[in-house]
Amino acid sequence: MALNVFLEQIGAPIPAVPTLIVAGALTRSGHVSVTAIVAWSIAASLVADWFWFLLGRRYGYRILRTLCRISLSPDSCVRDTEANFERWGMKSLLVAKFIPGFSTVAPPLAGAGGRSTVEFLIYDGLGAAIWAGAAVAIGRAFHRAIHVVLQRIEDLGGWALLFLGCLLALVIIFKWWQRRRFILLLRMSRITVDELKALFDAGESPVVLDVRTASAVKHDPRRIPTAIVADQEQIEERVRDLKPDAEIILYCT
Amino acid sequence: MARKLIDEGFTLVRPLAGGLDAWVDAGYEVEKHHE
Repeated sequence: MALNVFLEQIGAPIPAVPTLIVAGALTRSGHVSVTAIVAWSIAASLVADWFWFLLGRRYGYRILRTLCRISLSPDSCVRDTEANFERWGMKSLLVAKFIPGFSTVAPPLAGAGGRSTVEFLIYDGLGAAIWAGAAVAIGRAFHRAIHVVLQRIEDLGGWALLFLGCLLALVIIFKWWQRRRFILLLRMSRITVDELKALFDAGESPVVLDVRTASAVKHDPRRIPTAIVADQEQIEERVRDLKPDAEIILYCT
Repeated sequence: MARKLIDEGFTLVRPLAGGLDAWVDAGYEVEKHHE
């Protein structure tokens, strides 16, 4: 179970709440103690979150982009998270675990924002306690129903494992499909020149990349104001320190 | 190219429809590139 919590917090698309709820139900029959479950969950969360916090501190916003790729939830991934985090500060860690996407992104954000380690660990630990506590409480409250389900699963034996495996696979496929659709949507969305002009006029400063070939640039040295002229190789260098939600506009000839 | 940036984890990447030519044709301001 601790492994489950750890995996989810490290960013794997495997939900830990069902496991925690079942564990909560089991506390009723005295198989496991509530304290042990909550303590292990906190420990597992802290290890995973701290790891991301340190990476965030070390690599800044770059790490967020990596994280977005692993967690397969780019939609909830960054923009809202960052806005929320800026609004609520460290207190957002208290509820972060309840919000999909936010839970994994908040720790590296705290790291990238240069927050203090002690403060981070305290808030993150409290957040993990609230989260695990709530899941366990639900399990305890609905223990009868959960026992019935568990009994069924036991009766089914190997089939149940297969079923759970399929369920997990479905969750992963669904998230992957969501991401794919999101990327397709992005790929189709183009900005028109008028929209770009309107952006500039509104005082926005999108990152404009001139991705024409070197010879095309030589041939026509004009460029859109503020545009960064960069060919394929240089691009990576140019964008390395940008935030993942930076507005980027590319143009060629 | 845009796809590569999206794969890099950027969420707000958009190609400019029509490219530089469309920008120039619309009569918007350009600057000279010197290098």
